[in-house]
Amino acid sequence: MNTLAQTALTIVMFGSLFSVLTLSLNLQYARGGMINFGTVAYFAAGAYAYAIVTQEPPHGLDQYLVGLDAPWWAGFIAAGIAAMAFAILTGWPTLRLRGEYLALTTFAFAEMLSSLLVNERRIGNGTVGLANVERPDANILGLSENIVYAGAAFLLMLATAYAFSRLLASPYGRAIDAVRDDEVAAQAIGKDIARLRFQVFVLSSIPIGFAGALYAMITTLVNPNLFSAEVTFFVWIALVLGGERTILGAVVGTMALVGFQEAIRAIPFESVRAAEIAASAEDIVTGILFIVILRWQPFAAFARRRQPA
Amino acid sequence: MTRDLLVVDKVTKRFGGLKAVGGDAGLSFSVPEGTFLGLIGPNGAGKSTTFNLISGVLKPTSGSVILDGKDLSTARASDIASFGLGRTFQTPRAFPSLTVLENVMVGADNEGETLLSVFRGSWRPRERALRDKAKEVLERVGLTERINDVVANLSGGELRMLEVARQLVRDPKILLLDEPTAGVDPSLQAKLSRFLVDLHGEGRTLVVVEHNLHFLLQIADSVVVLQNGELLSNGTPGEIKSDEKVIAAYLGADHAA
Ligand SMILES: Nc1ncnc2c1ncn2[C@@H]1O[C@H](COP(=O)(O)OP(=O)(O)O)[C@@H](O)[C@H]1O
Ligand SMILES: [Mg+2]
Repeated sequence: MNTLAQTALTIVMFGSLFSVLTLSLNLQYARGGMINFGTVAYFAAGAYAYAIVTQEPPHGLDQYLVGLDAPWWAGFIAAGIAAMAFAILTGWPTLRLRGEYLALTTFAFAEMLSSLLVNERRIGNGTVGLANVERPDANILGLSENIVYAGAAFLLMLATAYAFSRLLASPYGRAIDAVRDDEVAAQAIGKDIARLRFQVFVLSSIPIGFAGALYAMITTLVNPNLFSAEVTFFVWIALVLGGERTILGAVVGTMALVGFQEAIRAIPFESVRAAEIAASAEDIVTGILFIVILRWQPFAAFARRRQPA
Repeated sequence: MTRDLLVVDKVTKRFGGLKAVGGDAGLSFSVPEGTFLGLIGPNGAGKSTTFNLISGVLKPTSGSVILDGKDLSTARASDIASFGLGRTFQTPRAFPSLTVLENVMVGADNEGETLLSVFRGSWRPRERALRDKAKEVLERVGLTERINDVVANLSGGELRMLEVARQLVRDPKILLLDEPTAGVDPSLQAKLSRFLVDLHGEGRTLVVVEHNLHFLLQIADSVVVLQNGELLSNGTPGEIKSDEKVIAAYLGADHAA
């Protein structure tokens, strides 16, 4: 396969995968009014749950305690449950908090999980992480692994988008909008705002867990470094790029951001020095692009045209 | 004697040192089923705070509120609304991201708002009936032409009517209206008054805060007068009009004229 097609495939794969996170954030924030600055934690919970459930029991130098050697689909389901459980644990005490306070506590919970993964080696070998994560044999379909995983990520994105759009198009979605717009007025028509917020928070974390499992399959490695706050910020930037509130916008924003990064990475460099310059240029250009996009919101306008809801 | 639908029993509310409602003894009054009760008093008398205490937006410092036999002390505002209490706010509160029609539809019961119902799609058959009912209510409050508008395009008076519609679609047992005619175009005031009279005629129980005393004393069954958070007088419009304390404190020269 040529480089261009490879790059395109990588963009579809990671673009779809991270779109799942952006879609969840869109539901939590743009519709539910909850600022979650710990998005990566639910992603990490899914990835680690998948790795732990599918890996072999520890041997040799392994410090982890549990390896269930279960099939991939059991790991996948476990990933959704783990992310959901973490959302219940973190959402219960914090969802009464407003705006920036919720942002701070979710961020703190994510940092706690990260530090737990680093320091409690019995979970996943600490900083070393879990390598050679098991994954289903993709060759049975006669396609390259990259195509299969890009397809899987794309399907997960579609399923998430479908589920969320179905939710938002119902009276439930209307109630969520009402609660976000005005909690006092929503209560005056009988909306149980605590229940609605909690449900939205927990529900939207499940696909993030699934995405974590898929990410672990794709990279075949999980370690705390892969799940830093950078992932959270990446998803937030993607959400802002796509403009808030629309499902299509969330996807377009993520694809554009992943596409931009992959495009820069795909440039062949003659020397290490050139690659270094490109890497720092990437940050600068990302920053400039961010400002430009925020100012003119081209993707948001695009999404609005396509989805007049 | 009809039964009391709402009982406010020795309620007080303090904000720091300020005795906003009830003074020391507490505010007490009751609203029999089917009554049109007017709640009047000068600015800052505690009328809106009283509504907030009844509807659970605020919790009383002491005393209790009983709705249809239920003590509301531990109930949340959303529970109280579900028990059948409807209210509007002095400053209208519409949901800006919903259309006018959706603003009313969202006021109806919560059956379609469970994850199970979303999952099964069981809300769909109900949706059409709900939409029809919302349109009917919007027609009553004169907003038919605004159905698909965004609320940002509504005037202050229209926002008030939207809020009334959002409550009416829920069929509350008792409806509290906080200054429903404030900011309403004078040409529409007469229409609005008729609308309130109609609601009363249908047997609805209403508590209305209203500055237009002339109008209120004409249509209310009974009136509660508040001053500095305390009950100044409570009786039929005829009794209120001839109450020395009320005349001195509130109706004053305006009424004499
Ligand atoms: N949330 C609050 N915090 C502090 N003081 C308040 C609050 N709400 C109302 N008050 C005070 O309580 C008193 C009664 O206000 P309010 O009920 O709005 O009067 P009214 O509706 O009769 O004009 C006023 O002095 C007001 O400033
Ligand atoms: Mg008031």
